[in-house]
Amino acid sequence: MKKVSLYTLSTCPWCRKAKQFFTERSIPFTYIDYDLADEATQARILQELDAAGATGFPFVRIGDTVIAGYQPELYSKALRS
Amino acid sequence: METESRKEALQYFFEKVVEPMGFKFTPDVELKDFLLEQEVMLETKHGIPFCPCQPVRHDRARDMQIVCPCIPFHRKHFDAIKRCWCGLFVHIDVIDPDSLPQLPPKDVGLE
Amino acid sequence: MNDKFMRAISTDEIAPGGMKTVELDGQEIVICNCGGTYYAIQRRCGHMNAPLELGTLDGKFVTCPMHCAQFDVTTGQALSGPVPGDLGNETLPPRVAAFLQQVGILMKYVRTESIRTYETKVEAGWVHVAP
Repeated sequence: MKKVSLYTLSTCPWCRKAKQFFTERSIPFTYIDYDLADEATQARILQELDAAGATGFPFVRIGDTVIAGYQPELYSKALRS
Repeated sequence: METESRKEALQYFFEKVVEPMGFKFTPDVELKDFLLEQEVMLETKHGIPFCPCQPVRHDRARDMQIVCPCIPFHRKHFDAIKRCWCGLFVHIDVIDPDSLPQLPPKDVGLE
Repeated sequence: MNDKFMRAISTDEIAPGGMKTVELDGQEIVICNCGGTYYAIQRRCGHMNAPLELGTLDGKFVTCPMHCAQFDVTTGQALSGPVPGDLGNETLPPRVAAFLQQVGILMKYVRTESIRTYETKVEAGWVHVAP
């Protein structure tokens, strides 16, 4: 089972949808709400976003695949492959 | 400071800014309402209505690029996906906002 | 009979979208021309007392020139507080830095309050206000 982790914002509806996507499919995932995290964690998250060329949230990591934005088709594809 | 009054004021100001750029508020009224409410909360917290779906970096120059409406700073990207990142605004001709996926710049051939 | 209204300003003295200060009965009042309808508000910003007529009027919203607090001139309601200024990244001289730090501590107690509005009526080319 691939490891699923999310970086999200507590204020973002698409992040909520991304969390729902995995919950509805009973796929375990971890997440960090960037806006509620401490400074050091925020800096780390920004580094990962910048490295992946992502400008906003949600930021989803499925195994080795990184997907920026709410893109359920790509989530499914990454889970299957 | 009353949330509904502030939402009304933000709508008034934003409309005039986005229209000349070829955008309008999303026809998804529930989404619009939710996002504006988040922006009022962010404005209360930071003094500035930031985008509810992009990171506040505490770096003034970069944070200015996510002040709503942030379309001018992401023009090519948003024109390519016909919406802004959080979806509060869509291209003027969009009738079905649900059909617009949330694609990052590299997925539309941009940096 | 004692009419509460006082003659304040002639209607051709403020263009639509404009604001002008008058003093009536010892009170500083700003008259706003919102597309031909006149509203009257207290002159002093509900944040830090700056003169609102030096700000901008857009529709029924006035923005204070000092820190950009916004108010609805039809109700006086405070809509948003100050916008934080940008002091840049340069290192400040120690005394300036210490002073700003002290001010910063006190500023946390400053609130943006709603402002007072006044009744208006237009009669014979004059805006009247009840101070």
